[in-house]
Amino acid sequence: MKQKAPFLDALLGLVAGIGLIALYAPLLATAALSFFQIVRVRGTLGFAPFSLDPYVALLANGEILAALSTSLVVATVSSLLALVLALMFAFYFVSARRGLGIAMQTMVFLPFLLPPIITGLSLLIAFREIDLGRGLVTIIIAHVVFIVPVVYRTVLVRLQLLGSSLTEASLDLGASRVQTLRYVILPQMRPALISGVLLAFAISFDETLITLFVAGSQTTLPIRLWAMMRVGFVPEINALATLIFLCTAAITFAIGLMQRAGERV
Amino acid sequence: MNTSLRRDRQDLLRAGLGHALNLGLPLLFVVIPILSFVVVSFWTLQDGQILLIPTLANYRAFFTEGSYLPVYLQTVGLSLQVTLVNVALSTAIALFIFRRTPRMRFLILMSFMLPLFMSYIIKVYSIRSILGQRGLLNEAMLGLGLIDQPIEALLFSRTAIFIALAVLYLPYAILPIYLALDRIPANYLAASADLGATPMQTLRAVVLPLGRPGIAAGAVFTFILTFGDFVTPQMVGGTQGFTFGRIVFSQFGLALNWPLGSALAVILLATTLLAVALAGLSLRREHVR
Repeated sequence: MKQKAPFLDALLGLVAGIGLIALYAPLLATAALSFFQIVRVRGTLGFAPFSLDPYVALLANGEILAALSTSLVVATVSSLLALVLALMFAFYFVSARRGLGIAMQTMVFLPFLLPPIITGLSLLIAFREIDLGRGLVTIIIAHVVFIVPVVYRTVLVRLQLLGSSLTEASLDLGASRVQTLRYVILPQMRPALISGVLLAFAISFDETLITLFVAGSQTTLPIRLWAMMRVGFVPEINALATLIFLCTAAITFAIGLMQRAGERV
Repeated sequence: MNTSLRRDRQDLLRAGLGHALNLGLPLLFVVIPILSFVVVSFWTLQDGQILLIPTLANYRAFFTEGSYLPVYLQTVGLSLQVTLVNVALSTAIALFIFRRTPRMRFLILMSFMLPLFMSYIIKVYSIRSILGQRGLLNEAMLGLGLIDQPIEALLFSRTAIFIALAVLYLPYAILPIYLALDRIPANYLAASADLGATPMQTLRAVVLPLGRPGIAAGAVFTFILTFGDFVTPQMVGGTQGFTFGRIVFSQFGLALNWPLGSALAVILLATTLLAVALAGLSLRREHVR
């Protein structure tokens, strides 16, 4: 099917290889440093023997753990809220007049298309206008605003793929709207709903640039890490980075599998 | 008759509520905040108080005062540089993936996308720990005897910010370019080969032109994200890395001048919209020809 072009392929492969190294070297270096810390003996550098000390220290670091639990709460609440809103918007898009649907969609997509700095400071100013103090609530609102587009997109694609015949059949057979939603539409959309929520969770858990504007004294994990890194080197960060690396890899892999399964259905 | 009238009214009420929720919520949480920061950019700051007196002083300050304009131009230059390099690399990488068998494509694409889901702040930190003065790169080169002294330029310099931004935002350009290539029907390539084109000719005359929308999208994503990023320059650039995004952010933190910060943010926003428009224009012109 494709013509052979050994020279071209070698060249492209070289660039791809360099790209992969550039992307993964920082992550792998961090993981390695979490197990083998760098030590300096009489000016020459070497690696300390394998140790889990940074991991032990991590478990004892109350600040990091508190920030981690805040992040988990924020990501859970905001991704579930985003799911509800995304479903509502998606149903609206397929049922409302085209112009209104597109108007809604444009507004919903905006925060994801604009630079995060713009989304962050416009929410900061809006919160100030209505005298809403910065804290957990403002962080969650900001995250919902930012991740709804992602869930909406996933949900809408699946909903449009589903078509209207199932809904019509269900309504014809005497089911109420709520029953149709509960027993016909939602089960059909489960892969999209789950992968949408996981994706939203991952983005919320990691969100830094917008959160910096609206966090106030509340700190999520990225904000806590940001503050710690400004001060200097903390070995626990390497351990935490490695753990997060493994978790995200697992979640991403799960999303990938689920989306493939969803396509096959 | 009576019941159907009641049902009509119920439907109308439900539809009304639907419009109110679906249009009202985005209006309230997206559009009004954006409008409000544009409005704030025209207000006056006096003795630390925001006064509702309309003024253009904040915009005038951008052109006349201190280092705003030079830093702005430097940041545009830096972002363009990252965009150019990353789009070139990403096009090559997307082509590499495109030329694999369908089974391999997904796997390779996933391995390029995986870092996208890794914690942003930790990636910045990792890059810093490699580039830093006492970072792995310097230490390794010292250890191998390639250099006698750590290269200071590797951290807290424009080069360091450039490398960090390029690495961080590489996947954002690969994805749209690959998706555009993926949409090219296989029989176009077969037809081109049947007509006697060499692989390089097919690449130049068929693949790359059809991939243009993806390349434009990748360029726009990269520019917008690098131009607006204010944490990476601070983390790896130190005091040297004073980019436009950092100036905007500092107006909402230490400098505490919201009207000026808003005006600078409007300029930042206008710049990104201009980038989007230019990319769209370049595509349309190609289309007409």
